[in-house]
Amino acid sequence: MELFWLEHKRLWKRKSTQISVLLCLIYVVVFGSILSYQWFTFGSSTGYNSFRNRFDGYASIRACQQYAGQFGGVLTDEALQEMVRDYQSITDRDDMDEMNKTDRYKVPSWVSQLYPELNHPQDYRLEISYVEPEKLTGFYERRQKILEDFLAISDQTGEEREYLLKMNEKVEQPFRYQWTEGWNVILGSNLPELGMVMTLFLTISLAPVFAGEWHDRTGPLLLTTKNGWKEAARAKICSGLALAVEIFGLILVGGVGSQLFFLGTEGWDMPIQMIKLIAVAPMNMLQAEIFGYVFVFLGVIGYAGLVMLLSSCAKSTFAALLLGLSAVYLPLAVSEYLPFWAQKALDLLPLVGSPADIFRTNTFCIFGKYVWSPYLLIIVPVLLGLGCVPFAVRRWARRMRR
Amino acid sequence: MELSLDRLSKHYGSKIAVDQVSAVLGPGVYGLLGANGAGKTTLMRMLCGILEPTAGEVLFDGKSIAEMGAGYRNVLGYLPQDFGYYPGDSAEEFLMYLSALKGIPRHIAKGRVKELLEVVDLSACASKKLKTFSGGMKQRIGIAQALLNKPEVMILDEPTAGLDPRERVRFRNLISDYGENKIVILSTHIVSDIEAIADEVLLMKKGSFVQKGTVSELIDKARGKVWELTVPSSQAHSWQKKATVANLRHEGEDVVLRIISDHKPDEGAIRAEASLEDLYLYYFPAEKGV
Ligand SMILES: Nc1ncnc2c1ncn2[C@@H]1O[C@H](COP(=O)(O)OP(=O)(O)O)[C@@H](O)[C@H]1O
Ligand SMILES: [Mg+2]
Repeated sequence: MELFWLEHKRLWKRKSTQISVLLCLIYVVVFGSILSYQWFTFGSSTGYNSFRNRFDGYASIRACQQYAGQFGGVLTDEALQEMVRDYQSITDRDDMDEMNKTDRYKVPSWVSQLYPELNHPQDYRLEISYVEPEKLTGFYERRQKILEDFLAISDQTGEEREYLLKMNEKVEQPFRYQWTEGWNVILGSNLPELGMVMTLFLTISLAPVFAGEWHDRTGPLLLTTKNGWKEAARAKICSGLALAVEIFGLILVGGVGSQLFFLGTEGWDMPIQMIKLIAVAPMNMLQAEIFGYVFVFLGVIGYAGLVMLLSSCAKSTFAALLLGLSAVYLPLAVSEYLPFWAQKALDLLPLVGSPADIFRTNTFCIFGKYVWSPYLLIIVPVLLGLGCVPFAVRRWARRMRR
Repeated sequence: MELSLDRLSKHYGSKIAVDQVSAVLGPGVYGLLGANGAGKTTLMRMLCGILEPTAGEVLFDGKSIAEMGAGYRNVLGYLPQDFGYYPGDSAEEFLMYLSALKGIPRHIAKGRVKELLEVVDLSACASKKLKTFSGGMKQRIGIAQALLNKPEVMILDEPTAGLDPRERVRFRNLISDYGENKIVILSTHIVSDIEAIADEVLLMKKGSFVQKGTVSELIDKARGKVWELTVPSSQAHSWQKKATVANLRHEGEDVVLRIISDHKPDEGAIRAEASLEDLYLYYFPAEKGV
């Protein structure tokens, strides 16, 4: 225990760790949450780019929630028609302030996705602003159809199709509607990007655990002590994992705290289909957010294990840093040039896959059985990462004995 | 308490670094004296159990140290010749870390660290980072860490390297006190250190002990091999080429040479009082002036 605290203190005392944790917090909490909520994502638009937004996100969000609240509750054809009608009256008046209050991405996207035959290709405007509201009927049948069409296009047939449709049957209908944009930003962009951002800062913090030229020459000292290198290795591994958990914890508190402050909890029980219509998972927003954070948490643990292995193989801290970063960014960079199955396999590496897969219909086929991808994406990376730990220890031991 | 070396050998490929070394060491201070490359470090690493012998074994009180494992390490203190440290640690943190590795409870370790920092005269730098330390300061920290667990067996590889004369004297006194009832083995190629500290000298050459004994016993062995010869200055150079010259002193126009040799080197040579250094030069003739 004593050793653990000393190793832990040693990691935190490094300037590089302190700076990287600070930058990580600034990036994720200050830019990714607070400024984003108050300014460039939810600040009311002035019609120019988002950096010209007003600094009034807190009030804007409340206005949006209130506006959507008029149509809130069970999402029926009538409710959608009502929303579209109101949207059109706002566009007719060309009222920018009123426009800011509408659920301006998701609702228009439903209209264009579900009612493609009502689209006028020559009209440059969004379909929602000219479509006749009373023609918008059969929301749920149409959703089912575009889901099935999508499966057909993506060549998901037979057993896989059955599996996904069966999952979809558990999705409760009709949906509940509240303002979606807040949840969309959190689940659709903040959480999926979180892992990628943390990669950089985790690598900087964890690369020195076993690496560094001076490390090799501590061997004779460590090897001749009573508790020996095994205790030291255990303390190093635990302190590395603890550091990863602590960084994650800081981000979790900062992220969730600012979310509660700016967005509140409203809409937590909406189904995730309100973010992506053809999602098949029977989950609500709260469940999806919990899934997202657990996903990142396990990814972080797995990634920590991987970085420590690389750290034990690398001669210098800098080399460990480069190896660690390339373990995540290289797969992300080359992934688009690879066949689809290879992309899916790479997603199983820690922090390479995305929690946004809950909105998708990807599956893995294991021994002929189909498994929805998020099940594997959440569990395999952490197992891989923890599987690296014994190798890291062995590798380090061998280096010290030289 | 007894450390015995039983036909200990270490081969690196065809290179024989330590060759069938045997000895039985009771409490006392042992000076392992030898030129660079004689095999001192290799032997000491085997005595610490971090290097596996090619043949032979090391026994502590009759038990193989390899089998004792943590039990042996618990009574061992080791100062490696060239050791790594955690650059960001302060002296105190580094010693606390090693205490934890040595299984010393925190409350005891705290006092022990303070005491040892005092002993090696580094109390004032206790909270300074090791990377700001000079070579001598690092060496003293290394000595302190070897003492943390009050070892029964202490193995110090070139402990005086980098120490200035005052620190050397301090170190000698420390070790003489400590070695009263413990086994202390220290290596060096500096003869004067050994003369001052060691109860017994192990003279090592090409992987074997060529001489064992107390300082005076070894000096006895050199007796009769040391000569003084007075020659004109002009001849000094040629003598240095053809004989092992330990010292050279100008006296007016002439030069007095101290020559190590089995036989009387010249008609005019007279016998001189021997020292340990003379014996060293006798065995390592190429390494003049060490
Ligand atoms: N790891 C090694 N591999 C090969 N040769 C070695 C190794 N370590 C030491 N040696 C050789 O063994 C001999 C003894 O070395 P060492 O024990 O370091 O001598 P000393 O400490 O007396 O200077 C030297 O000739 C050295 O080159
Ligand atoms: Mg040596």
